[in-house]
Amino acid sequence: MAATASEPKKVTLTTSDNADISVEREVAERSILIKNLLEDIGDNGDAIPIPNVNEAVMKKVLEWCEQHRKDPPASQDDDADSRKKSTDIDEWDQKFMQVDQEMLFEIILAANYLDIKALLDVGCKTVANMIKGKSPDEIRKTFNIQNDFTPEEEDQIRRENEWAEDR
Amino acid sequence: MKRTRDEDDSSGRPAKLRRVPNEDRLSKLSDELLIRILSFGTVHTLLLCQRVSKRVSRIAVDSELWKAAYYNQFVLPRASRIPGIKDAAASDHLCYYSKMSRWLDDGYLVKKGLETNWKHQYRLRHNWSQGQCAVSEILVADRPPDPPLLVLMQNGLIFTADSMSGLRVWSSKNERGLIAFTTLTVNGTDTPRLPTSMAVDCHKEPKGQHRVVIGFEDGSFTIYALKKDDVTFVVLFDYAPSNSGMLSALAYASPYLLAMTEDHLLSIYSFSEDGQDATLNPPRLLYSLRSHTVWPPVSLSIRATSTSMTAAIAYSIPTYLSGWTVGIQEMRLTHEGELIESRLATAADKNFQTLSGHRSGSSPSTRSPLQFPGGSLESTPPSTPGLSKPTSMSYSHPYLLVAHPDNTLSSYLVRSTSSVLKISPGTRLWGHTSSVSGAHVGMRGKAVSVSRLGDELRVWDLEGGPASSARKRAANGGLSVRVQPAKTTEYSSGLNDAESRRECGLRYALDQGYDDSTVSRGWIGFDEQHVIVLRENVNQGSQTLVLYDFT
Repeated sequence: MAATASEPKKVTLTTSDNADISVEREVAERSILIKNLLEDIGDNGDAIPIPNVNEAVMKKVLEWCEQHRKDPPASQDDDADSRKKSTDIDEWDQKFMQVDQEMLFEIILAANYLDIKALLDVGCKTVANMIKGKSPDEIRKTFNIQNDFTPEEEDQIRRENEWAEDR
Repeated sequence: MKRTRDEDDSSGRPAKLRRVPNEDRLSKLSDELLIRILSFGTVHTLLLCQRVSKRVSRIAVDSELWKAAYYNQFVLPRASRIPGIKDAAASDHLCYYSKMSRWLDDGYLVKKGLETNWKHQYRLRHNWSQGQCAVSEILVADRPPDPPLLVLMQNGLIFTADSMSGLRVWSSKNERGLIAFTTLTVNGTDTPRLPTSMAVDCHKEPKGQHRVVIGFEDGSFTIYALKKDDVTFVVLFDYAPSNSGMLSALAYASPYLLAMTEDHLLSIYSFSEDGQDATLNPPRLLYSLRSHTVWPPVSLSIRATSTSMTAAIAYSIPTYLSGWTVGIQEMRLTHEGELIESRLATAADKNFQTLSGHRSGSSPSTRSPLQFPGGSLESTPPSTPGLSKPTSMSYSHPYLLVAHPDNTLSSYLVRSTSSVLKISPGTRLWGHTSSVSGAHVGMRGKAVSVSRLGDELRVWDLEGGPASSARKRAANGGLSVRVQPAKTTEYSSGLNDAESRRECGLRYALDQGYDDSTVSRGWIGFDEQHVIVLRENVNQGSQTLVLYDFT
């Protein structure tokens, strides 16, 4: 169950629903949170508790980490360029993100918690693309958002923002 | 599958919520994550999201998002045109190097820090770039004063001066009311003094006051300070009449004052700032010179650095071959008044830079000067007669903009270094459909021009110069936009309302149908948020300031 001594590169993660997942350390270290934890406490073979992520989501996240294990580590600040175009999601990631909304948001929350910047961006871009080109009403339907504006309030905002409409 | 997950989770989260079939997961994200998501959206998306729900709306107006949008839309394209900044800007597009910001003229935005409303700033720049604005009018005179009314605008204040009504200052902000006024009379009498030129101190409000200098027909000038606290004009300094004639142009950047008489005698004064708030001591004459080549219109300017100050006169000169061209005389002085150098430059008087020649395979039919969809940039065909005498000139280093009566403007780029003073070949700017009577160029190469009939106002972006991207933009007609005043329905609530406003010297434009009876007097100016034009009704003789509001 725990990583054996003969496989030093493996670590074990314990998810919120008490499932243990064994994964190669290099893959797990795509998560800055896990990487820092391992550096701080040392790899003593103990399972690392991940109390905010359940097994299904963790497996999905690790699938992404496995695919991107060789990516150059993201430095703290240089995400400026990669964030410019919202449509730019590479093909594998697009397929990876073809999940129901529940899973999509779980992945975003997990990526945020585990501090996997690139995955977080892929998730956020996916949501941004779902918003793009939709009317406010369509956005509300897509995400099941309650409209708490009165028609007057909404109309007021629409008029305030008329300056940006294409002529 | 789902069911098991739900059960597994139920210990940690309220089970009730998990069972709602279609849950609003987006709104449950933290602000930070929502902002991250919206940061991938366009400005258009941000605006639409404002109408989705209160929670999403609050995020979509987040200043950080708009700051990023502002920089991506308006600063980065600029930065990439400035050599040396490109790389830094590309990797650090949300970092503000103070030096770079100053270069980009946006430093004041950063300085304000958290208080800056970035969405508002974005909207302002957007409206400028689209030529969208609201229009209102201020009635300034019932009959045209002689000499003509002088108008200037700075920091949201409009200064007017004429012999009948004196020096007045109006707010260009929402109220558009008269703020303060003072009469212009000879001391102790009712004899009006005739103002012939005016300048506003372009240094940032020393001691919390705006300073205005007015030059008079008798060669005297007076410096006024508009106090911010009690909003009154105070005379800071009176310069006695001189026999060198009417003051035709002034430039003021405290402590320096540049004055030019109609006989082309140029004087540079320096005022000492010794803490005395009430008045200024008599100035020291730093330098004086008489020019024999200068023809009106002229434009004076002062630039100061830590070691020296540069006074420049931009003027028009007649030539044999091509009619009129422009020249600049520049004097560099130390702060003590020693002349470091004086030099002259004249624009190449013919062979306007042929922009069309650079575009291979361009079809002239689509870019003929007869079509002015968005304004375009065209070389002067060799066959055309030379430039006609300029009607207006505006110099804001490094841009020199000249208006011609033949529906065109010329734009020149001035290069001034310690070793060289050069004026680039002029570039004709097409776009106006009638005679251009006034033009003004200001910060960031942004320029406005107005036609004589006053019904056409254009906003130009001269930045980048004709040699670079301007050519590309010109190719798709993007160099200027015609200002399209928004039909402001809220103002048309009733004539009675407008009438009552007129009582306090204020009039709103109820529609944009200007007839031929109103002509622009050619004066034009702008600040960060507004453009103003002086318009005269020929039949009634009344004069109105028309204010175009881009906010």
